[in-house]
Amino acid sequence: MKGQFLAAILLLTFVPPATASDETQLKPFERGSWQQLLRSHRGHPTLVQFWGVTCGPCKVELPQLGEFMKGHPAIDVVTVSADLVPDLPDATRSMLQKSGLSAADNWIFSDGFADRLRFEVDPAWLGDIPRTLLISRDGAITTIEGSAEIAELEKWSDAQLAPAR
Amino acid sequence: MSRKLMLAAVLALWQSFALAQMNHQHASEAACEDAILRCATKVTPAISQDGTLWLAWMAGGHVSIASSGDGGHSFSAPVQVTRESLNLDWGPDARPKIALDRSGGIAIAFSIFRDKAFNGQVLTTRSTDGGKSFAPLRPITPNNESQRFEAIAFDRSGTLLAAWLDKRNRVPALEAGQKYDGAGLFFATSKDGGTSYSDARLAAENTCECCRLALAFDSSDHPVVLFRNIFDGGVRDHAIMTFGDAATPGELHRVSRDDWQIAACPHHGPSLSISAAGTYHVAWYTNGKARKGLFYAHSRDGGKTFSDPLPIGQSSKNPSRPQIIAGPQGTAMIWKEFDGEKTTINLMTSRDDGESWSTPKVISSTTDASDHPLLVSDGQRSYLSWMTKADGYRFEPIEDEP
Repeated sequence: MKGQFLAAILLLTFVPPATASDETQLKPFERGSWQQLLRSHRGHPTLVQFWGVTCGPCKVELPQLGEFMKGHPAIDVVTVSADLVPDLPDATRSMLQKSGLSAADNWIFSDGFADRLRFEVDPAWLGDIPRTLLISRDGAITTIEGSAEIAELEKWSDAQLAPAR
Repeated sequence: MSRKLMLAAVLALWQSFALAQMNHQHASEAACEDAILRCATKVTPAISQDGTLWLAWMAGGHVSIASSGDGGHSFSAPVQVTRESLNLDWGPDARPKIALDRSGGIAIAFSIFRDKAFNGQVLTTRSTDGGKSFAPLRPITPNNESQRFEAIAFDRSGTLLAAWLDKRNRVPALEAGQKYDGAGLFFATSKDGGTSYSDARLAAENTCECCRLALAFDSSDHPVVLFRNIFDGGVRDHAIMTFGDAATPGELHRVSRDDWQIAACPHHGPSLSISAAGTYHVAWYTNGKARKGLFYAHSRDGGKTFSDPLPIGQSSKNPSRPQIIAGPQGTAMIWKEFDGEKTTINLMTSRDDGESWSTPKVISSTTDASDHPLLVSDGQRSYLSWMTKADGYRFEPIEDEP
């Protein structure tokens, strides 16, 4: 009996979270996740990028963001996959991994009512991606619609880190 | 470890597993996972000459069709167009297309993701037995570069025109060391009702690659395509092209100068309808420097010049997904608004070919995910066709209001 319990525990431990061994963790982005995300990065300059695997400009920008993260360890980098394509997590993880973003704080839209998720982030956002939100230490948010210029990110990053120097 | 503790551990793990499964389910825009209409996320209507409503929908990885002879109250047994479950294009502006010819033939086109890089492919098929069966799926073009956002329609002579966005010219451009933005607007024609298509030809280069196209025919039966273009400086404003005939692209005209400079996928294409008087009615979304939101304009000179853009809807409620249709009883325009919880479908009508419009009114609503609201005409009346996750499929006549 004890053996059966152990077998059940082992089965349940190792079978369901098949992705646990992947180094790229994806958190489900649901109702309330946006506030949770803001809370967990409060006080840190944070770059949040909304992107999607079917979005051409996103594919170009993602590796640049990976490079940016490598060069700016003091900036929290967050990605949110905002595409609602079925069976998306694997493709999302793969693209994040290839772009050097495995260690970022990575999320994926996990509510079928995407309009409501977007509304929580920004009521005026109708779903265009990529979209980058730059959040300063004091919580002020600057929104960049479309692909962000790396020079612009550098400028913002320098301004964020200046007081700490 | 005591047995109780072990049991608790097993239960806790099982609950988290079950929760993960629920979350997976919850993350879907679909109400269920089967191929039936109730599980559909995208439903496209068409009405045949005898007044039968036909629907093509995407559900459970399949494209299916059914018809209704009683205004959408009941439907025939669904017929699957696809034989195996496919990785269908689930993008916000994708949907299966259905076009009916006068002899009862049904042409279908839709996009799939053909590989792990989400490159698209447009597939087509046709039924010649009143929708009982469909020919095996065929690519619209032998080219293997990414294609998406097809549009199909029959002209009055029975020629089927197909237009789509195609990235084939990106490869030679990149090989030559040149930058290539967006995609090409390609087109082909079918003289056999959608069984086979002519070679693909380019109508316009460097269009926005991720918005649906709008296709209609003018009063002389010339195809007209409205699309989000990429103008100089990466400005994604709308352009319109009236073809010389089904094989001859025409001049490109700009619909409005919104000045939306953005390197992004807006996932938000336009709507076009042409009245019996020849007026082009267009509605579109922009987030440009010059204007933001939904807008309407008309052209009375064949799409060369357009009226000043008229803002649509309440800007505080994110107006989106405009649809417009010109019918014998007037012109109707619908769009979505969202207040953070509830999506409403809003209607405005015009009885003077777009010169003036009625006060907007709410004609439908839902509190969960929903497809774009669409308009379809039986030649007399216009109807709202709207798939919702919570409340199922809706088909309702547009009430004629002064």
